[in-house]
Amino acid sequence: MRIFLFALAVLIIGLGVSNPYHLQLLTFIGIHTLLALGLNMLMGYAGQISLGHAAFYGLGAYTTGILTTHWSCSPWLALVAVLLLTTLVAFLVALPMLKLSGFYLGMGTLGFGMIAFILFRGWTGMTGGDSGLVGIPALTVGPVSVGSGKMYYALVWAVVLLCFTICERIVNSRVGRALRAIHDSEHAAAAMGIDTARIKIWVFVLSALFAAVAGFLYAHLVSFISPNTFDFMVSIRIVTMVVIGGMASIWGAILGASLLTLLPEWLRVFSDYEMIVYGLVLMMVMIFLPQGLMRGILDLYERSRIKYRRPSTPSRG
Amino acid sequence: MNAQESSIDVRQPLLEVEALSKSFGGIQALYDISFQVLPATIHAVIGPNGAGKTTLFNMITGIYSPDEGRILYRDKEIQGKKVHELVSRGIARTFQNVELFGSMSVIENVLVGRHVRMRCGFWGAMVRWPGVKREEAEARERAMELLRFVGLEGAAADRSLDLPFGWQRFLEIARAMAAQPSLLLLDEPASGLNAVETQQLGELLEEIRRRGVTLLLVEHDMTLTMGISDHILVLHQGKRLAEGTPREIQANEAVISAYLGKD
Repeated sequence: MRIFLFALAVLIIGLGVSNPYHLQLLTFIGIHTLLALGLNMLMGYAGQISLGHAAFYGLGAYTTGILTTHWSCSPWLALVAVLLLTTLVAFLVALPMLKLSGFYLGMGTLGFGMIAFILFRGWTGMTGGDSGLVGIPALTVGPVSVGSGKMYYALVWAVVLLCFTICERIVNSRVGRALRAIHDSEHAAAAMGIDTARIKIWVFVLSALFAAVAGFLYAHLVSFISPNTFDFMVSIRIVTMVVIGGMASIWGAILGASLLTLLPEWLRVFSDYEMIVYGLVLMMVMIFLPQGLMRGILDLYERSRIKYRRPSTPSRG
Repeated sequence: MNAQESSIDVRQPLLEVEALSKSFGGIQALYDISFQVLPATIHAVIGPNGAGKTTLFNMITGIYSPDEGRILYRDKEIQGKKVHELVSRGIARTFQNVELFGSMSVIENVLVGRHVRMRCGFWGAMVRWPGVKREEAEARERAMELLRFVGLEGAAADRSLDLPFGWQRFLEIARAMAAQPSLLLLDEPASGLNAVETQQLGELLEEIRRRGVTLLLVEHDMTLTMGISDHILVLHQGKRLAEGTPREIQANEAVISAYLGKD
């Protein structure tokens, strides 16, 4: 039901907005939402941090970029390759990495992100190094090109809706409960018979796949990719989206991704002071809404409802 | 003791511990411990602090592997098996310091307890086959039934950490029961409970035994232990000090001097 309303909202916005700049911005929000949704499954629900998620974002983008430019592979075939390769890489990374926890897991994933970044930059023959990879073809569905504008907006948000549904279903299932149980107490979760190592690996793979799909969509939207789009700061930004939006909240991922995408645009007016205001806004959110935007807004709503009701209900004394 | 064993020797022991030893660094935590637990009995392990009770528990539940000796559950060796494997074979536990999933509701805690009796994985959750829905509905029904069993049906939707401590204990037992265990290990279930709650706990444990579940408990509360146990094993400094029925233990000189007398 809520997903239906969400889809309706996406549709109405898509039909209503015609300014190409706004459409592009909305498309980017969609791509960032995918990143945040994926990391939220890992970080918000299972409680395992990753400071290297940009690596999978880049893996998706570069895999399709290299296959479609160097070998003129069909983008859709490249997508299959992206999914397979990401599953493999994420699995191999998760296998040793998720034995770590807390700060150490943060360090480990950070290291992985850096290795990937160095690879994107250093493997010049394939990735084009610092000068980037140019001429990634636009996506086509049969004879129709979905290169940009409304078509691409629709494509990206359709994928977001799909991933959103996947997340919602997982969260409200046996698997989702197991993830939250691991977050609360890993050894109690194990004592309930949850194979914690295994489920952590698969949620890592899932979140990496979301990031890789985001990378795929990004590459075919902008047709040009360079390593800086997938550096350490991007990993941090994804983490920030999850935290600002609200950990363990699927809707929070959308809010976080929206805020972090729109804020730099809104703050252009501050020109030189842009980054200072940006930082201040994030600090304010964390100080006043430490549970993130989603929880914060819900709490405000609850509180105002109680306030509004008070006169009619007898006081408990 | 021999008389008792011979009278029920047609029944296979559910759990057999054979010459179990474990040391940490230079400290011998358990030394050559052997005992048997018969099905549908309440078996208690008592002993002063540092006697090795928790170490024994942690080996039976798969957290530690023993240095020497064997643990047989339903005639199969289980020492060194992973915790989650043992749970699916029917060994569940509760913790000394209640360890609930604090961010989750009461019923969700019980549902997590049912994890090993459900099958839905990532794919099942995403696609939501009809079987998955049925499984989920059945699990919720069972969870509610268990909450009624421990008297928490009214709190199903509450956040588990908001419950009073005594209720949290009962919830933890319901959660462990959700795995449909044959053997339930309770690590000091009465600690932190008041007299009334302890009595309710005793009744609950006997009710659980009547359902055919074997109970193995570590406990400090002597009234409870003596009142409900069929068999008691006394540990002292990692060694077996005595074993027998509550009456035998209460009369045992060594136990009185090592444990009860000094308490």
